[in-house]
Amino acid sequence: MRRVVISGAGSINALGKGVAAFAAGLRDSRCAIRTLSLFDSAAYRSTCAAEVESLAPPTWLPAALARRVTRTDLLALIAAHEALESAGLRGGGSSLQGEASPMMLAVVLGATTGGMHASEEFVRRRVLALPPAPRRALLTTPLSTTVDLLASVFGAAGPRLVVSTACSSSANALGIAADMIRSGRADAVLCGGTDALCRMTFSGFNALQALDKVPCRPFDRRRAGLTLGEGAAMFVLEEEAAAHDRGAPILAEFLGYGVSADAHHITQPRPDAAGALLAMQRALGASGVSAEEIDYVNAHGTGTPMNDVLETRALKTLFGPCAYRIPVSSTKSMVGHCLGAAGAIEALACVLALRGDFLPATVTLEEPDPECDLDYVPRTSRPARIRTVLSNSYGFGGNNTAIVLRAAE
Amino acid sequence: MDRNELKMQLKHLLVEGLKLDGVRPESIRDAEPIFVEGLGLDSIDALELVVLVEEKFHVVIPDEEVGKLAFASIDALADYIVRQQPGARV
Repeated sequence: MRRVVISGAGSINALGKGVAAFAAGLRDSRCAIRTLSLFDSAAYRSTCAAEVESLAPPTWLPAALARRVTRTDLLALIAAHEALESAGLRGGGSSLQGEASPMMLAVVLGATTGGMHASEEFVRRRVLALPPAPRRALLTTPLSTTVDLLASVFGAAGPRLVVSTACSSSANALGIAADMIRSGRADAVLCGGTDALCRMTFSGFNALQALDKVPCRPFDRRRAGLTLGEGAAMFVLEEEAAAHDRGAPILAEFLGYGVSADAHHITQPRPDAAGALLAMQRALGASGVSAEEIDYVNAHGTGTPMNDVLETRALKTLFGPCAYRIPVSSTKSMVGHCLGAAGAIEALACVLALRGDFLPATVTLEEPDPECDLDYVPRTSRPARIRTVLSNSYGFGGNNTAIVLRAAE
Repeated sequence: MDRNELKMQLKHLLVEGLKLDGVRPESIRDAEPIFVEGLGLDSIDALELVVLVEEKFHVVIPDEEVGKLAFASIDALADYIVRQQPGARV
């Protein structure tokens, strides 16, 4: 079977713009959760959010696009640009078209709300009889807008796909991208996830009473919900031999992924955590890795009372007695829950952990929950030699995905 | 309406309706192409502008051919609007 590697990465989230800023934030165990400024949050249970500050169109973006791109688009564009540059594919497919054998570059993106924030603003102005926003805002409502934009801006002429399986969207996007490489349907795939904060998600999670009033505290006894975040993480995936021949950097190997559905409830996970367990088992099976080989787990770890105890239970079933020696952490304690982007952001956290020989922390964990009794790397990151890691992403509707990554050789 | 006043209104509509931050309405030249060159507007801006003009000046842009001629420049657009007014001599 073809080996799939990550040859480029790009990042933007509340910890900063660029992979280096994210790596520094993770290593320094910085919580980037603040008071939301994007829109008025006074009426909500929580005003906490992990917001990207000073988000503005980059200078390389054509003026007509710069005027109408949404936050979600911008996050994806900025991360994708960095990913392509770091993979040595500057200018993406457009520069590749001129080469003797043009590369088939696909785009696979996980997302859940697309241009919702712009659509909300359009409706708000209309309802309040304010001067109208341009109607072009409504063109950004379909989720496919961002993936089409990425393909046209970066000249990607291969297949394109948007994956929307709630909070597992971008974990699935990476898995599907890897499948495209293995099956030969694309030479390289620009893949990842993007989601910006918007009123709909804030109101929705508020109504579900799923937002903690203080920055989320995954696995803590006092945890009372999640904190919403925004961001994007994008990767370039390609076959190992192709990346090697191009002289591209190999950041990590994408070993495999596993998917399951709870088939249970619109928001709640199965009380027996069977779906979460099955996704991890399938991911290990697809990767040819045994449970004992896992050195670190980047948990879904939302900070909701139910998720963290059920995820812990699934991990204990999967690992057996080894569970107590395998560190597990939730990087959502630093960048919030970025929904459709979460899986990709957390995959990047894993890549950075593998490359930087450290374990990112669950920075807000202070009072352990007796029902969550694993090593969650509380408060501060710590040095560790790790080789094989697993990342969990669970979405509403019982969408479970686990991915397995390995350090580059 | 005075023709110069109409052209000024069109320039304001362009800048405010399309949110052209940093462009002064007075700086738009009457004979300059509205799309592609100059202001860097594209086909989605064109859609927006057609609807704005139709609403504000009660005219109809029936198809792309008419639209291309009518939106060639501020001069052309002012001509088109004047010609479409009830009682206008064609």
